[in-house]
Amino acid sequence: MKTQTYVLNMGPQHPSTHGVFRIILELDGEVVVKATSVPGYLHRGIEKLAEARTYTQVIPYTDRMDYLASMLMNWGYVAAVEKLMGVEVPERAEYIRVIVGELSRIASHLVAVGTYSVDIGGFTGFLYCFRDRERVLDLLEMVSGSRMTFSYFRIGGVADDLPPEFFPPLQKFLKDLPSLCDEYDGLITGNEIFQARTKYVGIITPEMGIKYSLSGPVLRGSGIPYDLRKVRPYGVYDRFDFEVPVGKNGDCFDRFVCRIKEIRQSARIIQQAIEGLPEGPIMAKVPKVIKPPAGEAYAEIESSKGILGCYVVSDGSTKPYRVHFRRPSFINLGYLDELLVGWKIADVIAILGSLDIVLGEVDC
Amino acid sequence: MFGQGLLKGLAITWKELFTRKVTVQYPEEKIPLPERYHGRFELDVDKCIACGLCANACPNKVIQITREKVGKKQYLTRYVMRIEYCMFCGFCVESCNKGALRFSHVINMNQYFRDKVRLVLVDRPVPEVLPEEEPAKAADGSPAETRGKTARAEVAAGKAPGKEG
Ligand code: SF4
Ligand code: SF4
Repeated sequence: MKTQTYVLNMGPQHPSTHGVFRIILELDGEVVVKATSVPGYLHRGIEKLAEARTYTQVIPYTDRMDYLASMLMNWGYVAAVEKLMGVEVPERAEYIRVIVGELSRIASHLVAVGTYSVDIGGFTGFLYCFRDRERVLDLLEMVSGSRMTFSYFRIGGVADDLPPEFFPPLQKFLKDLPSLCDEYDGLITGNEIFQARTKYVGIITPEMGIKYSLSGPVLRGSGIPYDLRKVRPYGVYDRFDFEVPVGKNGDCFDRFVCRIKEIRQSARIIQQAIEGLPEGPIMAKVPKVIKPPAGEAYAEIESSKGILGCYVVSDGSTKPYRVHFRRPSFINLGYLDELLVGWKIADVIAILGSLDIVLGEVDC
Repeated sequence: MFGQGLLKGLAITWKELFTRKVTVQYPEEKIPLPERYHGRFELDVDKCIACGLCANACPNKVIQITREKVGKKQYLTRYVMRIEYCMFCGFCVESCNKGALRFSHVINMNQYFRDKVRLVLVDRPVPEVLPEEEPAKAADGSPAETRGKTARAEVAAGKAPGKEG
């Protein structure tokens, strides 16, 4: 019998793409023969916009890359500019950055965990994650005044000190968090249907992970304990005691479980940061008009999706000459085409969801 | 035993049934907003010296200020925010060292028509003399002063002047 493949267009408007993203699937029956991903639908030209803004004015645009973890996006950018200017960030500001950054990571992972549950077909798990994400957003709202696009980091520090009313609910949240994670584990991770859909699906071998320069939970799910906070600590991360959770098989399930474990570790880091929070200024002495010397700098931080790099070139004026972001979602997505081959249509959703991409960041 | 995970999940949802609910019936009920909340802007016209720092700090050129020279001083005649381009980043509020521009807790900013979106915080004619320079004249309520007062009262009530730019 003569058969032929056919083309199925998935997206750009498809709920499981978590944004606007298109994959052109060439199928043999139900099996993927070839996949071509087409990003770019959310491109806003943030890198170009930055060239027409002053150094400080770029910060709100970085919020809009990975809008689920805006604090970390802010961090990546200001770290690069601080490196360029040689600014020493005060200790208290570093601790505040760790606290809000880890909270942002928790919020981002909660979305990843919740939406992955929906992708696999379990709506309840999604609601539980979002219930708790609201609590994180409430906390960050107290600090920055916004719920999603915080613009809280400044070159040389942070915009404002932590308010006193921030600590009691934070303590309560940290106390509840382990039991909340147990709930997700009970609802989603332990569910047999979920396991049947995700275990041994979309396996990324450690070699391929490194070859494609994957990072974040996508890489750690394959068993490589590469976390910038540990291997090349920036800020004050070297002072905290935490583990880097890794997976065994590198399948969708491991990547998912890694995220829940990371939430638990983030809670540990925050607890230590609150205990060690020193007094002092929250802003370094930076001039009002920021004019870094001509030159270039590249800084990297561990965002919730992986390694966020920011490259800034200065020509000595008040505006950056060029800004480029290494967005972890985009790089992780690069392996998708190859990863999908040989899997069934339903697994495409499971695999894409396990990479946890945010299209704001992919397209930038 | 296969199915144990499912039962465990059911136990969790069953337990949740008896906890306090986390949602509120908006708009009848509202969640209290934190102190620093980025709501609609309000401007204290008395404090504003029309320096334009806020407009310069804005990444999106949202703020448009018109000023006139009256006597030796700059007098703010119009303060318009093209709020449709605003990112609510708060740089403008941060840059104002007179504490004139602030965030309020008004979150309800939706409009049915695009031309109503623009936020006019001040729109007033130029007085012949500055009120504080001629206290006697201001006391009897010259038109300019009255207009300024109304604008101030409206701002204090957290309500933008009805006229849109
Ligand atoms: S909040 Fe930001 S975008 Fe909006 S007017 Fe102020 S500076 Fe401009
Ligand atoms: S609001 Fe503040 S920064 Fe803006 S013009 Fe008035 S005084 Fe200057």
